[in-house]
Amino acid sequence: MSTNVDNAVHTPVGGGVMRRLNFATGAIAGIAGALIAWFAARHLLNADGQLFDDQVTTLMGCGWVVGFLLGIGALTAPGKWASGRDQSHDDEMYLAGKGMGTFRYWRFTTDHKVVGVQYIIVTMILLGAGGLLAMGIRTNLITPGNHFVPQQVYNAFLGVHGMLMILGLIVAVAGPWANFVLPIQVGARDMAFPRLNALSLWTLVAAIPLLLGSLFVGAMDMGWVTQAPISNQSGPGFDLFALSIITFTISTTVAGVNTICTALTMRTEGMTLNRLPIFTWASMFAAGLGLYAFPFFFVVMGLNLADRTVGTSFFTASGGGTGWLQENLFWLMGHPEVYVILLPAVGALLEIASVFARKPLFSYRTAIGAMAGLCGLSALVWAHHMFTTGWAPALGGPFMLTTELISIPTGVIFLVIMGTIWKGNLWMRLPMLWLLGFVANFIVGGITGIYLSDIPLDNELHGTMFVVAHFHYVFVGSVLFGALGALAYWFPKVTGRFLDETMGRISFWLVFIGTQVTFLSMFMSGMRGMPRRYASYALIFEHTNLISSVGAYMIMAGMLTLLGAVIHSWKKGEPSGPNPWAAKSLEWMVPTPVPLENFEVLPVVTADPYTYGEELVRS
Amino acid sequence: MSEQKSRNIPPLMIVLWLAITTLGVVGSLYVVPWLMPDVASNTMHLGVLTMVIFSVAAAPVAGVVYAVLVYGIVRWRYRGQGVPPDGPAIRANGPVTSLWLVGSTVLTIFLLVWGLALLANDQGSEASAEMTVDVTGQQWVWSFAYPGTQVKSHELYVPVDTEISFRVTSEDVVHGFWIPQMGIKVNANPGVFTSVAVMPNKVGTYDVRCTEICGLNHAVMVTRVHVLTKSDYQQWLNQQPASI
Repeated sequence: MSTNVDNAVHTPVGGGVMRRLNFATGAIAGIAGALIAWFAARHLLNADGQLFDDQVTTLMGCGWVVGFLLGIGALTAPGKWASGRDQSHDDEMYLAGKGMGTFRYWRFTTDHKVVGVQYIIVTMILLGAGGLLAMGIRTNLITPGNHFVPQQVYNAFLGVHGMLMILGLIVAVAGPWANFVLPIQVGARDMAFPRLNALSLWTLVAAIPLLLGSLFVGAMDMGWVTQAPISNQSGPGFDLFALSIITFTISTTVAGVNTICTALTMRTEGMTLNRLPIFTWASMFAAGLGLYAFPFFFVVMGLNLADRTVGTSFFTASGGGTGWLQENLFWLMGHPEVYVILLPAVGALLEIASVFARKPLFSYRTAIGAMAGLCGLSALVWAHHMFTTGWAPALGGPFMLTTELISIPTGVIFLVIMGTIWKGNLWMRLPMLWLLGFVANFIVGGITGIYLSDIPLDNELHGTMFVVAHFHYVFVGSVLFGALGALAYWFPKVTGRFLDETMGRISFWLVFIGTQVTFLSMFMSGMRGMPRRYASYALIFEHTNLISSVGAYMIMAGMLTLLGAVIHSWKKGEPSGPNPWAAKSLEWMVPTPVPLENFEVLPVVTADPYTYGEELVRS
Repeated sequence: MSEQKSRNIPPLMIVLWLAITTLGVVGSLYVVPWLMPDVASNTMHLGVLTMVIFSVAAAPVAGVVYAVLVYGIVRWRYRGQGVPPDGPAIRANGPVTSLWLVGSTVLTIFLLVWGLALLANDQGSEASAEMTVDVTGQQWVWSFAYPGTQVKSHELYVPVDTEISFRVTSEDVVHGFWIPQMGIKVNANPGVFTSVAVMPNKVGTYDVRCTEICGLNHAVMVTRVHVLTKSDYQQWLNQQPASI
């Protein structure tokens, strides 16, 4: 594998056509693909058909995805293989971006550390765009009848905000860190399938313009759950929206397989399963759960597209279908997805807890058991999103049972964190702040979830701002806090510099206080009776909405401060050295910047990375 | 023994826990009912009661977490420079873990039993309905039809102290039929009927709000419920022209 040739300082001679392909050629080929699809569709399809617009839009979206992936070179290596040739070693080294400087971030590069950094950028784009739409929504809701944007645009903002944030949070921890850190944590030289790794990243990139584009071609105006049959009333924006999700599910499936294979098969000598860092375990569980959940996402969007473009009626009652099928498929994905999002964040925070309390992780095995329990249960609770739909009232009791059982493994997560910081020497650096903020918020998100699991109470609270506040406490207060903790924790490994502590602290307090202000008052709006997805509202909800909007601006200010900190610290931050936190997992044992292929000699592991305060027996 | 000492719970933490729990319990008892809408049915009364009871039950659990958090931030914070020294190597604590698991299981079972009992009560009320009102949602208006009459209206009129079943459907997309003050909600789906029952117990005017996004004017798909005395209801019914 790693030979002397690799270590020699020269740019590999291989690469072939890949030498000329990058993000720009991808974008150009994508646009060309869309235009070709448009041209072909106009000529081949019946322009008088009712479904014509949707057919043309769908084909254009497909043209974009295929063109983009071709143009960036995602299919070059498989193409070579299919034509009976194979990649040479030099080709692979060229793909890994050897000796290419920052240009390697703009192309189909297979080095897992490059992919990790690319995921950071993509996450920032997704969360940034979703955040801007959130500001649009909250600005609209400052006063009862405010129409900052027209009602139709407001409705479109809801769904695209939701989906941008969902996609952004799915990749927020798993994308950057399961790529950058996980292979090093298990003692590997790269992911199990480096080319698939780059493929998952660029497939995700291909999905983003579709999602944003859906705002401009006829609004997708029914919220992120894309309930049928109202989805059939939407403009062609829905087609791009659905295609974007379909593309995204391909990306996560590819990434998930890669993560699991890496963690299971690429471990170095001595890295037994009971020494595996908890973040690796969490990423593996999340990836596995994603493999279960996201095919439902693919199917529900695919069937909906079929209803719209070829006139099937899977989800329309007038044609013999049922909207309940759509809701079931959607939530079969939708609830496991919450844990696909949550688990990597929890994994990163548990690493932080141990390192910054200078103590072993408390109840390592119980924590793994709890994560397994969360995965298993999360597949069995989907219909709690449907208690008030009228579908299968007899199943209310069983779904209430499975849903409430989730509070037991969730409680274990709290126990593990509390046990880990118990009597530790808490090092109050940025990652620790985000961890403590997570604990404070997640308890609120967790307890309010129990209210909603109780059917008689859900009959009152379902579909109100209470639900919105509940899952924002989970997604913003918990997952985003985990993602930002992970960013502060691993930033020195990526850049060799600390994330600016002062700006970081300012952003922490703005986001933390902003979260409480926004979502505590949103709980009040919901309890007083304000339904969600309302563009205007009754006077009694006036004050709580105004307060929520102020809090939302605080969160935005905090996130912008953090963005400033990231940009500033990337080049000009305080140098950190290879192991600034004196941590013990393998990613901190390699030099910074991490060399290509990570380890000169693969390490032999003799203990788990949580041996704080313990005498090490050296072998 | 430092090992033994590190496992004892500091008294100040217990004080903190008691304080936070008390605050949580008092808050649950007073703030929750104050925030919820007026109560116009027994279903809603039980809903609010559930929220209060769940909050009270959650207070000691949240109290543990916040007490450890606050105590830890103040007392376990490392105040020196650079990397802190290692803390005690506590890898597990069987009794504490067991206690936590048993405690959360018992609480969960309690919540579940409570919820199932209430659910059975709700379903029982549906079986004993004294009258049925047909509810139809369409973009973006609610229509109500009354049993045994030709009467239709866009505001809902119901008699007090009568078990009413709503038979709910939609003419176009999915809507959500919700009366906030009565604690009932069910979706209006095109092509099928769903039902929900309630006995209003207070004369007055309440709200109907749509809770499933149904297009452009979703936010204004609201109307009123008038709960009348039984005689007033009859009188209202007799005054209505039969719709065609």
